Amino acid sequence: MAAVVTPVLMAGIGEADLRDITVYRQRGGYKQLERAFKEFTGVQLLDMAKASGLRGRGGAGFPTGMKWGFLPGNDKPRYMVCNCDEAEPGTFKDHMLLEETPHLVLEGILIGAYAIGCKHAFIYIRGEFKRGFEIMSKAVEEARAAGFIGKNLFGTGNDLEFTIHRGAGAYICGEETALLNSLEGKRGEPRLKPPFPAVEGLYKMPTVVNNVETLAYLVPILEKGAEWFAAVGTEKSKGFKIVSISGHVKKPGNYEIPLGTTVRELIEIAGGPREGRTVVAVQPGGGSSAAIFDQNLDLPYDYESMAKAGTMLGSGAMVVFDDTTDFVKAAYSLVRFFAHESCGQCTPCREGGHWLEQTLERFVHGQALQSDIDMLKKVSRQLTGINLCALGDSIEPFLASVVNRFPEQFEARVLKEMVSK
Amino acid sequence: MTMTPDRLEVFEEIRERLRPECERLIALYPDTRSALIPMMHLFQAEEGYASQEAMRAIAGHLNVTTATVESTISFYTLFFRKRVGKYMLQVCRNLSCTMNGAEDIMAYFREQLGIGHLETAEDGLFSYEEVECLAACDRAPCMQINLEFVYDLTPKMVDDILAAIKGGTYPVAPLPQTGEPPKTWIMNQDSQVSRGDKSPGAENVGHPNNPGGIGDPSGVIMLDRIILERERFVGRTRERMVNEPNVVLEVVREEEQETWQPS
Repeated sequence: MAAVVTPVLMAGIGEADLRDITVYRQRGGYKQLERAFKEFTGVQLLDMAKASGLRGRGGAGFPTGMKWGFLPGNDKPRYMVCNCDEAEPGTFKDHMLLEETPHLVLEGILIGAYAIGCKHAFIYIRGEFKRGFEIMSKAVEEARAAGFIGKNLFGTGNDLEFTIHRGAGAYICGEETALLNSLEGKRGEPRLKPPFPAVEGLYKMPTVVNNVETLAYLVPILEKGAEWFAAVGTEKSKGFKIVSISGHVKKPGNYEIPLGTTVRELIEIAGGPREGRTVVAVQPGGGSSAAIFDQNLDLPYDYESMAKAGTMLGSGAMVVFDDTTDFVKAAYSLVRFFAHESCGQCTPCREGGHWLEQTLERFVHGQALQSDIDMLKKVSRQLTGINLCALGDSIEPFLASVVNRFPEQFEARVLKEMVSK
Repeated sequence: MTMTPDRLEVFEEIRERLRPECERLIALYPDTRSALIPMMHLFQAEEGYASQEAMRAIAGHLNVTTATVESTISFYTLFFRKRVGKYMLQVCRNLSCTMNGAEDIMAYFREQLGIGHLETAEDGLFSYEEVECLAACDRAPCMQINLEFVYDLTPKMVDDILAAIKGGTYPVAPLPQTGEPPKTWIMNQDSQVSRGDKSPGAENVGHPNNPGGIGDPSGVIMLDRIILERERFVGRTRERMVNEPNVVLEVVREEEQETWQPS
């Protein structure tokens, strides 16, 4: 497959001021919302989401239609919450969508909300995105004035309210139950699951939490049909994906591609490695994912291939490392991040993260012991799979992968002689 | 900080002025408590930091205890529980920025400012913090100044930014300065967040969100829970607390008012 950038959600960004509702509507904006309300029932939209093969773009890759299908058939109020708490190291796609094309994001959320029979939708925006919050606030005002939010929409008798909620600086609030706690005005601590949000979410009501990019894709899917989306990509990873490429490449940025494009092609799309350098590692799915090397760079970029290579596609944040990289420092910055962002509920994550951070700090300063290397290799078993949420499991994959691949970089930081006191 | 009559009057004015906006925020949600974080944003935008008085006012609006508000606020790093400088400089220290020279930029900032991570300059113009990923990795190294992004940092840009702020020509508005003087972010120095990266003379400076010294809020939090989930506590707690939690809470609040010592 040729390496092709295919702007779908990103179409028009940089060409027109899509923050303006007039411009957005001239380009066909909000037509799909009107169609959804007038021509479709919630069940039809759910079937369409299922048929398109759309999977969660926030990190877990869970099929969107199936997630909606978990909602119980009771008459409790339901809530749709859009997760825009983007803070995974290396990810910057939602930030761009929010600031550049807020109406597309809003239209996607409203379609999703209508599909699940929700009367009040929310977007949870990361606290640091103050500018994005202001842009979205203006977009919502414009949409409300145009009659896309409120009562009796398009004369169909359906009501839909919308609230923007701005967080206040906590990576963990990207975890869906932590996000719901934060939205309820509590500390952003993940909940014990089950019950899952579909059964007991916001205000203990059935709730769906979807990523910004996931919901935005509903707009083109509705316009062009589920088959159009499902025809792109691989067998199980269908459709397009915005990949945030950063690190040691010439042209870092967001690139929208069909899933299944190879990792090496993606590096080329981002301008390739810097002059005279070669790529030695790639982290394919954000700070939580293990790095991949050499032959794995020719793998197609999709959920299954990445999982098979022992890593994950995650949020689609690709960080490229060339041969100048100090992997001790790279691992340290990620471990420090997770230790800093741990909410502290579960002991392995709270203590383990802090402990690993201190160990890596010794490596950075050349003060490590030989036994520390063995410890780094073994530690994963004590961190993974035993926490309330995935943050604890995210601390070590990258670290473990680079310790195994570049042990010499770590060994070089071991104290050569113990200084006698 | 002492609660001078001036301070009380000033805050009273702020609280009254923000009351309609607070009520609007509450009306946005199906449940009142959801307005807690937006309200704190509102008060912090007004005062420059999350003051004890603001937390008290929010507690009043939401009909929860001040301790409940404080325990929530303390979870979030963007709420400064002590006053910070007029310009909050937050430089990203995460992966892509580190790979693209953030370490040099951070060292340069520290050198130029004469302060380190989580410190406020003596004249109260700058606070400096090294933060986690800001979701702008394609424009690394990046930072935020009072939450406005600055991309592709170079030492030259650092010079220009600092000169513009000092000269009063920087286009981003300063944080408001109310309450205590900006000798801030002081706490016990052996905490996890405050170790390392200190410049000389700043040994006592710590993180704004852990000032300490407020006292143990667990009793009040418990009363809060009793009000919300009364059935669960019947037979497990003193009768009066279960049957008349609001009355007990009022007494506790009054005591809190009386015994609360400004830190």
